[in-house]
Amino acid sequence: MDIPILSLLVIIPLIGALVTLFMGGQRADKAKYVAAVFSAVILVVSLFLLFSGMKNDYDFSQFDESYIWFQAAGLQMNIIFAVDGLSILMVFLTALLVFLVVMFSWHESDRPNYYHALLLAMEVGLMGVYMAQDYFLFYIMWEVTLIPMFFMISWYGGPRRHYSAIKFFVYTHVASVIMLIGIFAVVFGAQAGVPGIEYISFAFDAVRDNAAFDTVFQTFFFGLLFFGFAVKMPVPPFHTWLPDAHVEAPTGGSVLLAGVMLKMGSYGIIRICLDDKIFPNAMEFWQPIMIGLGIFAMVYGAYACIAQNDLKKMVAYSSISHMGMVLVGMGCNSVIGIEFAIFQMFAHGIISGVLFMVCGIAGHNFGTRDMRLLGGLAGKFPVYALFMMFGFMASLGLPGLMGFIAEFGLLYGLWEYLAANNLHALILFGLLDMMLTAGYYLWAMQKTLFGKETDKIDLSHCHDIAKNEVAVLAVLCALIALFGIWPTLAIDFIMPFAGAF
Amino acid sequence: MIGILDYVWLVPLVPVVCFVLAGLFGKKTPQGGGYIAVAGAAIAFIIAALASIDYWTSDYWANNQAYTVDMTWMMVGTFEINFGVYIDSLSCIMMLFASFISTLIFIYSIGYMDDQGEKKTRYYAEVSLFLTGMLGLAVSSNYLEMFVFWEVMGLCSYLLIGFWSFTHPEGDEASFRASSAAKKAFLVTRLGDVCLMAGLFILMYMVGSLDYADIFDNAAILADKYGKLLPVAILLMFAGVVGKSAQFPLHDWLPDAMAGPTTVSALIHAATMVKAGIYLIARSFPLFVQCTDVMVIVAVIGGVTAIYTASMALNNMNIKRVLAYSTLSQLGYMVLALGSGAYMISLGLEGGEHAEELFLLGGAAFTAGVMHMVNHAFFKALLFLGSGSVIHAVGTEDMRHMGGLRHKMPITAYTMLIGCLSIAGIPIFSGFWSKDLVLEAAFAPYHHGFGDAGTIFLILFILGMITAFMTAFYMFRMWFMTFCGKERGHCHGESPYNMSVPLIILAVFATLSGLLMLAFKSFGTYGVLESLAVGFGFEFPFHTGGETIVQIFKEIPTYIALVLAIAGIGIAYKLYVATPYDEEAFKPENHGALYNFNAKRHYFPELYNWISWKFGAGIAGIVNAFDKHVIDGTVNGLSNSACGGGDGLSAIQTGYVRDYAGLVVVGVLAILAIFALIFLYGGGF
Repeated sequence: MDIPILSLLVIIPLIGALVTLFMGGQRADKAKYVAAVFSAVILVVSLFLLFSGMKNDYDFSQFDESYIWFQAAGLQMNIIFAVDGLSILMVFLTALLVFLVVMFSWHESDRPNYYHALLLAMEVGLMGVYMAQDYFLFYIMWEVTLIPMFFMISWYGGPRRHYSAIKFFVYTHVASVIMLIGIFAVVFGAQAGVPGIEYISFAFDAVRDNAAFDTVFQTFFFGLLFFGFAVKMPVPPFHTWLPDAHVEAPTGGSVLLAGVMLKMGSYGIIRICLDDKIFPNAMEFWQPIMIGLGIFAMVYGAYACIAQNDLKKMVAYSSISHMGMVLVGMGCNSVIGIEFAIFQMFAHGIISGVLFMVCGIAGHNFGTRDMRLLGGLAGKFPVYALFMMFGFMASLGLPGLMGFIAEFGLLYGLWEYLAANNLHALILFGLLDMMLTAGYYLWAMQKTLFGKETDKIDLSHCHDIAKNEVAVLAVLCALIALFGIWPTLAIDFIMPFAGAF
Repeated sequence: MIGILDYVWLVPLVPVVCFVLAGLFGKKTPQGGGYIAVAGAAIAFIIAALASIDYWTSDYWANNQAYTVDMTWMMVGTFEINFGVYIDSLSCIMMLFASFISTLIFIYSIGYMDDQGEKKTRYYAEVSLFLTGMLGLAVSSNYLEMFVFWEVMGLCSYLLIGFWSFTHPEGDEASFRASSAAKKAFLVTRLGDVCLMAGLFILMYMVGSLDYADIFDNAAILADKYGKLLPVAILLMFAGVVGKSAQFPLHDWLPDAMAGPTTVSALIHAATMVKAGIYLIARSFPLFVQCTDVMVIVAVIGGVTAIYTASMALNNMNIKRVLAYSTLSQLGYMVLALGSGAYMISLGLEGGEHAEELFLLGGAAFTAGVMHMVNHAFFKALLFLGSGSVIHAVGTEDMRHMGGLRHKMPITAYTMLIGCLSIAGIPIFSGFWSKDLVLEAAFAPYHHGFGDAGTIFLILFILGMITAFMTAFYMFRMWFMTFCGKERGHCHGESPYNMSVPLIILAVFATLSGLLMLAFKSFGTYGVLESLAVGFGFEFPFHTGGETIVQIFKEIPTYIALVLAIAGIGIAYKLYVATPYDEEAFKPENHGALYNFNAKRHYFPELYNWISWKFGAGIAGIVNAFDKHVIDGTVNGLSNSACGGGDGLSAIQTGYVRDYAGLVVVGVLAILAIFALIFLYGGGF
């Protein structure tokens, strides 16, 4: 490949971000066109990537790029980009969601140039995280995602946006610093003092090739890395930044936060922690903890959902519950577990997009997301009701839609693990989670959509969903149905990676 | 062979196309897409009929083989999950009656839903999707595929029960009730569904595949290898049946589900969807028979459901609720027959001198269960549509406001009478044959002294007999209260032709379907039995229709049941026709505790609420408080102490990144210090 496709995926949004950033004053209103063009180009590039990989038997090695960034003080940082079965769907998801968010926020009028610059800057970081094959680059990109999100919340958020933004920033930053310690440990631990190594390279491969850690080292630094990633996912009890961030964040920010940023955590765990060249023995200690935490997150998140009154907060907690399921899949550390953990990351990315958009629409069309104030919306706003139902049904795992495939696979993976370890009865928690999930979504629909039309808020001037919102939601819903009916379409991408576990 | 069998996948596909068409363009067509739905159902029926004929004339049928085509749906690790079709005569019978009855009900809907305006589009789209679920279930080739369609039906049931969950013509209270009922139906069946899914996990774990063919081939090996796990799997699958087919103790969603339009009750909650559970048992027979003890549980659940729910129909005033309870009770009959059949076959598989006889009786019981499922679909659809016609004319579901309607709506009255005679088990009518076979099936293990559970089956048989009496009583109570005596409400007169013609057609089938099934080979009792031969891999001994009829009239229980049925009708006549209508007699306060306990559905709704409160909202409140105060409290407390007390986080809300960066550096240093301590303490690398 002569054209560095993967670098383009980082460079194009970067240019886009800079261009929109400087479109102040009179030109601010035009920023959305620029953002739309740039994000559309990225989407096209990522689709091209997807299809050419498909033609090439799902092998993406032809796109690999590797440059030495700098060598100094015995260290070597590289710019290495590659995609594989783990990252390709995330790359596509990022490109898709950013484009759709731009379309969704078409009528954003508050400093639109900054808004779009932040979106595109976030895309830079996300693309970088999912494609980087160098620890240093990975960490930088990880931090790059953080800052635009921070400003997104603190500039465009709700009334408590400062509190939430700082909480988000501090919390995830502390976690990423701990992660950084883990990264340093594995990079130096693997290569320091090894004869024949001139520069200590941060490349993933350099670490993998030289890693030979004892079990104690593995267990400890697995723990640090795992903690760093787990906060991002987030796994209870390190999750309280997420509901606050979501409640305050603007819709576009929430969609990206839940859709692709949370997945950075699980991506990191699969990419680094579950690498059996670096941490071949750590899972002996961590596997039961991961499974246990995952089950806990599933059930805990689901219970927390039931108690919420804010529609968006409920969806935020449901993200915790669904990411708990991903954690369970990763904890299984089996082909099935990894396969469906990745599938769930993809599925939840799309479904949570619908969910957060629906919540956002409630906020700006009806003026409140409080379920106690809403009610009987289905009569007056049938299109809105349709999308809300679709999203909720997809999220609760209705067969025929994407969420079901992920749920089935992950719970089956869990069952296999439990049966092998004589813990059969714990599968009941999985079933409990399915019941609770159906419970809170159905309850929420009853409270908001059905029954008597609310008289607590004035609905007479409210309108149903705008056309651009309908289009965006329709695309997402179509994808949910497509991958639910034809899951192989996604699984074929995943299998070359997951099959190795 | 005419080659239609290869296109049998079109049967579920046609309605889903209609779902899309009706959903997108229904508003632009007359009747809001009603004709699209009717056409879809009719085409599906025609294809199903041709494919069935094709199957019944093919070598597959001659050699007791199923016609299967599979393609890979997805890989779960190394396991292949397929998507395909599995056609044997059970699938054919299922497709045929489901698509036929759906066609009639859709035609009826055009009259019944005429006044619903824009909402019609939604209705026809949803019922089309529902039909996809039902027909897909019938042709599925593996359990996961079946589960997908199973849940699609669940969704449609939810949507259609909640058809009036907003802007109900009767007001806000009624819309609230409809939405509650929909939610309850979804959640209660979901409880069964998650159990079913867990059962499938175990099956997949044991067999490595969910294809019917693979599982049936390996069923005997599984019983040896997984002596403990297999019964659990089967029990969990049966829990799915209990949810979907509304067996005790998950039965209470069905009466509430009557909040939907009557056509929906007829289609989903009487004729088709609730049969999915019965179909699951029938389909899984080769697997289920591996666990003798579990089959006793199945039969007991069926028998208990039959009498328990029949008792609740005795004093109900709502015409649809009476029919709902009667549906529950009849479903219990089917489960009882299938459980008893599986019990006898499982004993037969152990060998011994009675094996041949056990296979004969077990096969007969299986046939009885399936035949009752088909017959019930006809007469119950008829009864529901009839009640819909009445409700349409009178504008109420309360039988106290009806009465004397047979003069004004004779077609409805006399077709419903046929339905009542059929369900009550009066000879010649279809219900008589299958109900009698069901009771015989329940009686057989005791009668012939098979196995250790004889006494249990004797009790179940007696319960079944009492149920037969109750059924005759409450059905005729309903008919007499509605159509006899003085008119107590206002009636618009007979319903239009598009409603009464389906009633007449259904009445013909409610009369004859039993005899037809006994007379014909392919879609009759022999065909039903052939599905067992396909599953088990050997032919079952068989009584022809003629032999069965002779057999029925030789047995004494037949006459006891008949006497009980006539007694039931007689008492109903005495109480509701011979005695003049007295308003006081229908007031709850004039009755004892038992009457009111029954009228309150034995406090089952309260029990469900209590459970969902206790295990749902109750725990959720605790979790939420824990989340807010303990976890978030700790986080905020930590940050406060790090920033020198006070309202730490808000104090540093200065808006400058510089400050946050400083904060972060402090945090990093602290962590590095901790890390260094651990590192030193641990003795380095």
